[in-house]
Amino acid sequence: MVETEKKVDYWRWTESNWKNPEIPDWHGSLITAGVDIGSTSTQAVILADGVPYAYSNMRTGSNSPDSAIGAINWAMKDTGLTLEDLTYTIGTGYGRVNVPFSNKTVTEITCHARGANYIYGPTVRTILDMGGQDCKAIHCDEKGTVTSFMMNDKCAAGTGRGMEVIANLLAVRVEDIGDMSFQIDEEPAPVSSTCVIFAKSEATKLMRSGWTKEKVLAAYCHAMALRVVRLLERNGMELDFAITGGIAKNIGVTRRIESLMNIKALSPTMDTQIAGALGAALIGKELVEKKRAKENQ
Amino acid sequence: MSYEKLFETNISGESAKAWKASGKKAVGYVCCHVPTEILLAADVMPIRLRATNCVDSSDAEAWMSSFSCSYARSILQYLMNGTYDLDGLVQSDGCMMATRILDNWEHIAKKNNKAQFIHQIGAPRITNDTSIGYYKAELQALADLLGEFSSKKVTDESLKAAIAKTNEVRDLIAQLSALRKEAKVSGTEALRVMLANCDMAIDEYIAAVKEFLADAKGRKPIESRARLMIIGSALDNPEYIKVIEDKGGLVVADDLCFGVKAFGDKIVVDDKDVLGSIANYYLNRNVCPRSLDNRPAIHKNIVDACKEYSVQGVIYEKMQNCECWGGEAYYLEPDLKAVGVPMLQVEREEQMANAGQLAIRAEAFVEMIEK
Repeated sequence: MVETEKKVDYWRWTESNWKNPEIPDWHGSLITAGVDIGSTSTQAVILADGVPYAYSNMRTGSNSPDSAIGAINWAMKDTGLTLEDLTYTIGTGYGRVNVPFSNKTVTEITCHARGANYIYGPTVRTILDMGGQDCKAIHCDEKGTVTSFMMNDKCAAGTGRGMEVIANLLAVRVEDIGDMSFQIDEEPAPVSSTCVIFAKSEATKLMRSGWTKEKVLAAYCHAMALRVVRLLERNGMELDFAITGGIAKNIGVTRRIESLMNIKALSPTMDTQIAGALGAALIGKELVEKKRAKENQ
Repeated sequence: MSYEKLFETNISGESAKAWKASGKKAVGYVCCHVPTEILLAADVMPIRLRATNCVDSSDAEAWMSSFSCSYARSILQYLMNGTYDLDGLVQSDGCMMATRILDNWEHIAKKNNKAQFIHQIGAPRITNDTSIGYYKAELQALADLLGEFSSKKVTDESLKAAIAKTNEVRDLIAQLSALRKEAKVSGTEALRVMLANCDMAIDEYIAAVKEFLADAKGRKPIESRARLMIIGSALDNPEYIKVIEDKGGLVVADDLCFGVKAFGDKIVVDDKDVLGSIANYYLNRNVCPRSLDNRPAIHKNIVDACKEYSVQGVIYEKMQNCECWGGEAYYLEPDLKAVGVPMLQVEREEQMANAGQLAIRAEAFVEMIEK
């Protein structure tokens, strides 16, 4: 009898949800939510009077409305909240128009700046958001308002999806890539950074020529860092600098970016992947407050 | 409404067909350094070649690499697949990519035994008395050859008659710009109207634009979230602007060679040197950063237009592999920053494959301006 090897999805990162332990039962006046449907991951963040109350972070499925509902339900789990309790919801990300319960849509560029301002504080001026299928260099002011931005074009090289492809190719869990990429004697030259398919071919060739997985991963992380550094340089660097998105969790890339740019990124105090949804929920709160203030005039 | 034809962005070739049916010639041209007045004076219908709505340029890719300008390659595709069925092609050496259209089409037409009037004029990249003299000689050669081709000699009188008509068009486009300033005409509509000039007979075009303007004057201003200006490489697709305007921007001004730059101020004629007046006018126009000495003037025009049209943001679109607009952003952005106008840079190709990417950038740009 032929035994088949069980297929492992090395690219699968850990989904999570969180509820603020300091707010066991919420009885405030304003609850807003942000739902960020990205190409690879979906996050829902719930704010209670502007304070993070709960969030979820999960993979985006093939159906964006289902992903939105799944994410908000998982975030609301154990909170006692229902959709009816949400005063205002903003959809963001590529699937922002597919959030069935949203009141408004705002682009992820605006939301990430606002979310990073909350996570990292008002000194942040440059944000690098490394998402599933694109990356963005964003400048913002002390309020988290965007002042300029630049996005990569067309290719998944230099994005989370590219990293997932390499994880599967090398049979390494995507969450282990960062640490493994430093288990090398000497930093290798980067692989191709113009195309994720070329990078995959090159990585295969390097493995065949005797490179270790660690060395190939170092070359790939190096290439990804170089690619986003070029984007940052094109948009200009103003300190303080912060990184958001899934790749922000990969030290193989973030430390190389810091090294190439000779700067230190701010350390996150929250999950960097929720920055977009958090920004959306914060913008929602501000909009409701403005509306209420106008009505009370 | 009899001006509906202005909004048909597909290249039908109807006007050229009707013109040719009367026994006259219709000749295509590339780049706005080819003075249409000379073609009109020779009783030749000028058709400015464009690649609007081209979705596949694979035939042309056999002749022009996929690393060439997709605008130029798509025009070659339209020549090869018969979208354009004309009597010839006149081209200036506006940029190296576009010049390859003429090189390849001359070869392909010869190979297919297709009789064509093929002529290239040299348009100098600096402007002084010597270069204007050279350019005038190039225009004279074109006028002589076209006169022979159409059996109608180009004279000062026929040139002046042609200038009177093109000046009338320029005046109408100035009125169109005024309506854009008042937000009565969208950027999408405006580009459609201006593109229609590429392949309509001039008398028919003048009549249609007059009617459109009369109608548009009575409109209420269009509400928008941000007043924008678009600048950059040759843009012959109104759908591109529509993507931006669907996201809340209103493109009230442009600095495009298929937009207002294709028209410009009126030509002032010196009766003693009519062709010299044309040469002087075309070489002094600040249309394209292909020239070595006009780039500061182009930047100033853009900044001035931002002030005049109350522009809140500039979208700089750059065709991939565009040599002319490749690096202007570096010099222009500080000038715009100095007057408080942000700039968004976007890369594009002739085929609208990246509408979603443009939409997200345009929407975020509008949000940024709105604050």
